[in-house]
Amino acid sequence: MANTTTATAVPAARTRSVSRSQLRSIALPSLLANWVLLGLLFAVGLLYASGGSSARDLLISDLLINLVLVLGFHIFIGNTGVLSFGHLGIASVAAYTMALLAVPSDRKTVLIPNAPWGIPEIELSPLVASLIGIGVGIVVAALLGLVAARTSGLAATMITLAFLSIVRQVAENRKDLTGGAQNLSSVPRLEGWSWPLFGAFLAVLVAVFFRSSKTGRLAVATREDELAAGAMGIEVFTPRLVAFVVSGGLVAFGGILRVQSLGSIGPSQFSFEFTILILAMLVVGGMRTVTGAIAGTVFITVGKEVTRFLGDGPDFLGFTWPVVDGLPDLFLAGSLLAVLLTRPNGLLGEFDLGGWAMRRFRRSAPAAPASVPDEMAAPVAPQQATGGELVTSGLGVVFGGFTAVDDVSITVAPGRIHGLIGPNGAGKTTFVNLLTGLVDPTTGTVHLGGKELSGAPYTRARDGVARTFQNLRVFPSLSVRENVAVADLVAHDHRSHRVGVSVDELLALSGLTHMADRSAATLDYGNQRRLEIARAAALRPDFLLLDEPTSGMSSSESLEMVDHVRRVATAIGAGVLVIDHDLGFITNICEHITVLDQGAVLAEGTAEEIQRDPRVIEAYLGSGHA
Amino acid sequence: MTQFVQNLIDGLGNGSTYALLAVGVSMLFGVMHLVNFAHGELLTIGAYVIYGMRSNDISWWATIPVAILSAVMLSMLIEFVAFRRVRTASAFTLLLTSFAIEILSHAAWRIGVSSTPRRYEAPDIAFKVVEIGPFNIEVWDVVSIAVAVACFVGTAIMLRTTMFGLSIRAASEDFDAARLMGVKANRVISGAFAFAGLLAGIAGAIWLVRRGQADPRMGAEPLLKAVIAAIIGGLGSLPGAVVGGLSLGIAEVYFRSWLPSDLQGLTDSFVFVVIAILFVVRPQGLFNVASAERV
Repeated sequence: MANTTTATAVPAARTRSVSRSQLRSIALPSLLANWVLLGLLFAVGLLYASGGSSARDLLISDLLINLVLVLGFHIFIGNTGVLSFGHLGIASVAAYTMALLAVPSDRKTVLIPNAPWGIPEIELSPLVASLIGIGVGIVVAALLGLVAARTSGLAATMITLAFLSIVRQVAENRKDLTGGAQNLSSVPRLEGWSWPLFGAFLAVLVAVFFRSSKTGRLAVATREDELAAGAMGIEVFTPRLVAFVVSGGLVAFGGILRVQSLGSIGPSQFSFEFTILILAMLVVGGMRTVTGAIAGTVFITVGKEVTRFLGDGPDFLGFTWPVVDGLPDLFLAGSLLAVLLTRPNGLLGEFDLGGWAMRRFRRSAPAAPASVPDEMAAPVAPQQATGGELVTSGLGVVFGGFTAVDDVSITVAPGRIHGLIGPNGAGKTTFVNLLTGLVDPTTGTVHLGGKELSGAPYTRARDGVARTFQNLRVFPSLSVRENVAVADLVAHDHRSHRVGVSVDELLALSGLTHMADRSAATLDYGNQRRLEIARAAALRPDFLLLDEPTSGMSSSESLEMVDHVRRVATAIGAGVLVIDHDLGFITNICEHITVLDQGAVLAEGTAEEIQRDPRVIEAYLGSGHA
Repeated sequence: MTQFVQNLIDGLGNGSTYALLAVGVSMLFGVMHLVNFAHGELLTIGAYVIYGMRSNDISWWATIPVAILSAVMLSMLIEFVAFRRVRTASAFTLLLTSFAIEILSHAAWRIGVSSTPRRYEAPDIAFKVVEIGPFNIEVWDVVSIAVAVACFVGTAIMLRTTMFGLSIRAASEDFDAARLMGVKANRVISGAFAFAGLLAGIAGAIWLVRRGQADPRMGAEPLLKAVIAAIIGGLGSLPGAVVGGLSLGIAEVYFRSWLPSDLQGLTDSFVFVVIAILFVVRPQGLFNVASAERV
């Protein structure tokens, strides 16, 4: 089999270049495809506008500006999965900054004569004022992001919601600066739709490149599964903060465009209701892709326009419609609710025009020779195990009054396969959680090669311990290849001293090459297990921690898994700590075994010693068999 | 000192409405990890029921029970139509769904009735003041506080002694384990919505008797206060929600009497900043115990 073949080591540089070219191959088609889509939409809009009043012109620039805002929201919300209500607060601050700097001096001495910092005397060109406004927006986004990215889920949502109301209240109450509820008018207005059009194209560019950038890919991994991302060495805070700042900058730009197209600004302009409108545009189409964001924006804009027309009581289709106030809002809320209840990922789901075009193109092209042969036949050079021992000394944890793990000391030699076995409830998974930092120990320490492992799970993963989870945690909506590639990305930055196995080779080794483009959630159970192991292996760890890799498998599948784990461990030169309750599987795969019972070490030794140990037999089969 | 006690009574009067709403919000969070921003719409429907019945000269004694019942029915309807479908969805979907229902309700009242407020006359008792020693006691404040206390005691007894109460507590602790022990998910969640709706209906009745008008967006603000109260108390903790609601009511009154007049409009902002700090420092709230995700 593969692990017997000897070959030269795979140079690390090769995998790096694969990663880069892959980035380009994702970003460019997506950018071009979405630009074409945007251009087509704009052409349709122009046709519509040419047949009507100036209100239709306004509709086009409105649509384009909303698209900038929606894509701004998409960059944070779509990529991190964290709901933010605060982005329009950022837009408000940026737009006020621009307006205060750009409104003509003679108007300001009338509107806000008592404004501080000599604002009434300042009069900058709209472009300079806008750039300063965006800069201020980015600073505000960074400050808010520091708080919002640290918390997650609900807390971030509530904090951003509070921020939105605070901005509004301050704008209403600092009358000397903002003119209060009375709008600050005479903002220099944009002529035509050229700036909004530029803004929309720029927003697509920023969104596409953020999604395929390293930060974007890490952020998406945290969206898919925060715990699994941490176990792959991905820190949650930094990618989320960067996403927040980039999206805040784009939203600031959109807010400035909007105020310049209206010619005035007031505290209620960037309201909660407007936030819901933008969120509906984002969610209805599909918040995770640029194409989805564009589709949602068009759908909601057109729908609101139609319902507004109908609600005004027109003579249409032969009879006079009743005047209905609030019909556009009903449409907005109704379509948002309908989509959330029936297709929570949006009408288009994960669909992106770029990816679709690429797959179409690839299918019609003559089958390219596979770069790596599929299935387990791939000859991967075995790596020499490096690094030191994985040692736990006196590790234990107490939950309330219950001692889940009690004084466990084990040593796993580099490159060896060590088994940890015990009946249900013996504390096996808790032990893995202690090792990887998900649970803080009450007593004891963990060392790897003499270095103490402490702190958050992601730091331990970077130090060389990669784990899998008992209840599968692949990144479900990412492709199989991307699942592995994300871990590879982390390895480039933090495990570069180890020689790696390329993503393609890992996929081949796991028999996943022919399904590399499918989303991980569509894989069957056994393949998801192998994918999780491949992902952990891509991190180039010193030790793989496998938490019940055969749970839910038949005995023949378990036997295959034995071979598979050996092969992967040999290929990447890692030691393995495998946890299971299946005595047969563990004795088959492991040279050295530790038996846990009721949180403590019951026995230790080779497979044969363990199988003969009367205490083990008693724990497993009951005293009658001893 | 007199002022201090006076403020305290006013604050408890306001706070008891927040607390009644907050207990419902917190209970729903406990059983399905939902912060229900549609909960305030239960006040709105009560207001329109009162408006409709009072403009037909139906007695307050008949009006209030019907208003409360309408809140219970709407709460269960929202659960049945919407939240049942997204029960296992992400927090993101749940939260956005509740906002969508809120906006949908606003639009429905605008279209169904009008976007301008509908007025009804408050009964005499709503603004009756009794002088006791140096204090001017509003009778309705006393009624509010008494009703709220009765509700809290009733809730506590219900949770401890009834099978339904036990199911709610079990589901809040660990929903999956509760299901394995025979708790019917649909029934306990639907029951929680009904009970939260009942408390919201009562809170609404207390508040609406004085308010004298119904308008489409009226539910949003008290609900926001209730959510803040529930967060202060730790989402999922019912005693926490009571304490959170009462302390928010009192804090508002004191903020208003102490803040200089040019900062009055920023009262809510001050509260928000405090909440934001609280969220960063103690994300689990003041009382609640954090629940860990299972691996």
